Amino acid sequence: MVRAMAERHFVVIGNGPAGNRAARTLREKAPGDRVTVVSKARQSCYSPHRLPDFIAGRITEEKVLVCPYEAYRDERIKLRCSQEAVSVDLERGQVVLGHKEVVPYDGLIIAVGGRPFVPERLAPFGDVVLTLKTLEDAKAWIERLEQVDSVLLVGGDLTSFSVARALIHLGKKVHFLLDGDAFWPLRADDELLATVADSLSGMGVDVISDGELKGIAALAGGGYEVQVGDWTVQPGMIGAFCGLVPDVGFLARSGLRIDRGILVDEYLNTGFPGVFATGDCAQIYHPELRDYWVSVGYENALALGRTAALNLPCGEEREMAEPESVFEVKGVSLDTSWWKGF
Amino acid sequence: MRAIDLTVEICGMSGDGTIAAGALLNAAMAKTGLSVMAFDTYPAEIRGFGRCVTRSRIGDESMVALADRTQVLISLDDEQSRSRIPFLEPDATVFLDSRPPALVAEGQSLAAHVEPENSLIGVPFGDLSSQVAGSKRSKNIVALGAFAGAFGVPPEAFREVITVKFRSKGGKVVDVNVQCFDAGYRYVHENHPDRVTGLLSPKEGAGTGDRQLLSGSVAISRGALDAGVKRYFGYPITPATPIMEYLARALPERGGAVVQMEDEISSIGAVLGSFYAGTRAMTATSGPGFALMTELITHGVMAEIPAVIVNAQRGGPSTGLPTKTEQSDLQAAVFGGPGDSARIVLAPTDVCECYRYTAGSFRLAEKYQTPVIVLTDFFLNNRVETVTLAPAAEQEIADGNVYPDESKKGGYRRYEITESGISPRSVPGQEGFTYSATGLEHAETGLPDYTPENHMSMSEKRQRKIAGALRDLPAPEEFGDDGPLDVGVVAWGSTFGSALEAVLRARAEGMKAGTLKIVTLFPYHADRIRSFMARCRRVLIPELNMDGQLANLVGHLNSEEVIRLNRVTGVPLSPREIYEKIRELGG
Repeated sequence: MVRAMAERHFVVIGNGPAGNRAARTLREKAPGDRVTVVSKARQSCYSPHRLPDFIAGRITEEKVLVCPYEAYRDERIKLRCSQEAVSVDLERGQVVLGHKEVVPYDGLIIAVGGRPFVPERLAPFGDVVLTLKTLEDAKAWIERLEQVDSVLLVGGDLTSFSVARALIHLGKKVHFLLDGDAFWPLRADDELLATVADSLSGMGVDVISDGELKGIAALAGGGYEVQVGDWTVQPGMIGAFCGLVPDVGFLARSGLRIDRGILVDEYLNTGFPGVFATGDCAQIYHPELRDYWVSVGYENALALGRTAALNLPCGEEREMAEPESVFEVKGVSLDTSWWKGF
Repeated sequence: MRAIDLTVEICGMSGDGTIAAGALLNAAMAKTGLSVMAFDTYPAEIRGFGRCVTRSRIGDESMVALADRTQVLISLDDEQSRSRIPFLEPDATVFLDSRPPALVAEGQSLAAHVEPENSLIGVPFGDLSSQVAGSKRSKNIVALGAFAGAFGVPPEAFREVITVKFRSKGGKVVDVNVQCFDAGYRYVHENHPDRVTGLLSPKEGAGTGDRQLLSGSVAISRGALDAGVKRYFGYPITPATPIMEYLARALPERGGAVVQMEDEISSIGAVLGSFYAGTRAMTATSGPGFALMTELITHGVMAEIPAVIVNAQRGGPSTGLPTKTEQSDLQAAVFGGPGDSARIVLAPTDVCECYRYTAGSFRLAEKYQTPVIVLTDFFLNNRVETVTLAPAAEQEIADGNVYPDESKKGGYRRYEITESGISPRSVPGQEGFTYSATGLEHAETGLPDYTPENHMSMSEKRQRKIAGALRDLPAPEEFGDDGPLDVGVVAWGSTFGSALEAVLRARAEGMKAGTLKIVTLFPYHADRIRSFMARCRRVLIPELNMDGQLANLVGHLNSEEVIRLNRVTGVPLSPREIYEKIRELGG
């Protein structure tokens, strides 16, 4: 007699590119099981790397969204937007949501991504510095840009290059305070910084690469006066682009091992059966390098999301996580495979 | 085109303060100068047994019906609110308590059931109430604060209505509730700033003017007061009780009295007695009470004594569905009772008409010496609307009695056969004009007379009298194009508003559609109804009853079988249901 297997419940926390791809892969590989995606974002999955183009007016909001709600319904994936996971009970196999609902799981993939990292030295100016991670952030940028002619970008992560291009496209004057810490949690070397500075200058950006941010003061008529080393610039608005910090604070008491991100093996397993982490929030062990590496970028997120999902339902077939692509930012190529040291 | 057309639902378990919150919402929105139409549904039990839902349609223009879909759901009880999810617009905003008292299992939170397109706003209703008021009882007020914060409603409007509501309980209660409101308002601004919109911020020049927020029951009561009613005799019954409650406060101030009788039979008896004595009186009831009144109503018909009876229909038969709406007493109102007992039956279609036709019914009852039934329903009585009430015209509320000429003194024939059927009626104390008012068939003098000739002529006289009343009764009104129509919708009572909105929608899409409003159910304006039907390729009659009671009454006036759209779901027919039927018929 064949007994039907009980329906399993797979929960994915996070609906960024990695979470979305994980959920869809789970549906593909486990068609008879239940898949739930918990996302604190209001919208469906969107592509963060398209936000600069959205700001530039090159694409519509619809084009930023990569997976319409209908797709989740069609694929029988329960999407819970605006709902935040606040803790995970690994022993009981439960995710607790902010509104105190307990969601049991048979398999869990954590793909919460990261939030903009604001270095200590920028923290005092947090109220005047914009970041760019979400669609809401992008809308705030668009609103502010209507009122200003110039922008100071601080940092130098991958997003910042695209934003600089978008601002140039919009006819804004762009000042760029380039900083090696901007690649947090990695640090760019001088050679890379010089390459980046050349590239930005070629785009018409005013690059400031040898100054320390000393102060920001709001001007009476709008805009700011920014003191950088011996330089003074007066941008209409300021943006910080210093990479992402994994958004894993809610896991602090879960028992998961967390360093910069959630520590996982090469199969993206956290060490707890059925619990995986993937995407920007994962810090992945590389057996050959005998070290951990992190992943950034859209394509890698997709690849890692799929890898986690493939390893979750089957249990026996194992897929090793590897970065899938090299990023191309206009004029600058970054091979993520060497991004392993912190 | 409306700039604002927002339907807000508050849903909770009875005892959660759902209805109270809805009333505050309606009052506050009316204060900001916006139009409101709202309706509550709740269980028959007093507390703890079922779902309460308030639906408020808020707009910058007046409206004729509730909307089909909901843009905002405020959940005071997640289990109960689940039932409302199918009615949400895809981009609806949902407020829920983000900090219930204990952990809940998967699926027990509303959050598990909303669609991802919905905008979910979690607010710790209970916790904030506890922090401010020391208990969770004011969570409904916190929820209102959250709503106001998110939609840009000026907090002053809410603070004012909260103050008015709780004033009688003392300043401390007022303060605590205002603080609870402020806590919800503040929470949204601090924790969900990206959800804050100015959609309901007052526009320049907005003001209430002379508009007021009234329920059908209050409008009926005011109509009666303005018509000079002096006595109300009644027995409490849902949904008519609010009329008695209102008059119990207002009537004594005007030198009148409300008397709670032992039952509905005595209530109608007292109304007849009062009118018999020359004093305007009324009663209000619902289906089960109306059934008890039937025999005495026909006594009024036979003895030709005025009476005003409001029948606020609810789901039936028998005790039925006390807190659900229905239109299934039409036949009982028109034909109920023994014998050929024609009487006047009016069915207002909105709150303004509740006022106007109740006020006018007293004069009609006096002039035609017959019971006048004002046929409303749960939806119409309980819904509130922002309205501008035009005071009842003097000629509509003037004394309608036709008194006997002094020359007839000594030879007074109370039931004299006349061409109009109206026989001058004396009141007790008029020397030389005494008579016997009996339920038995009688001769012109009032004394019993069962002869075939007399019964025939008296029946004809009574019938002639009621038929003649038609000239004083509101004629059917047409809305829509002149000329041929693909679909004509004939509607009565509270369903008319939905029919009108459906027709307007159909016409906006290029369909040839129109609607006919029938207020006078009996006698009815056959020629006017026939002429409208003759212009229609298909005639649709939507009603909240199973049989199609209006269709049964007037359907024969059409050359073809009328199309019936009948529902008894306990809730009003939606414009969408009627619109879809129009499309089906007009295609």
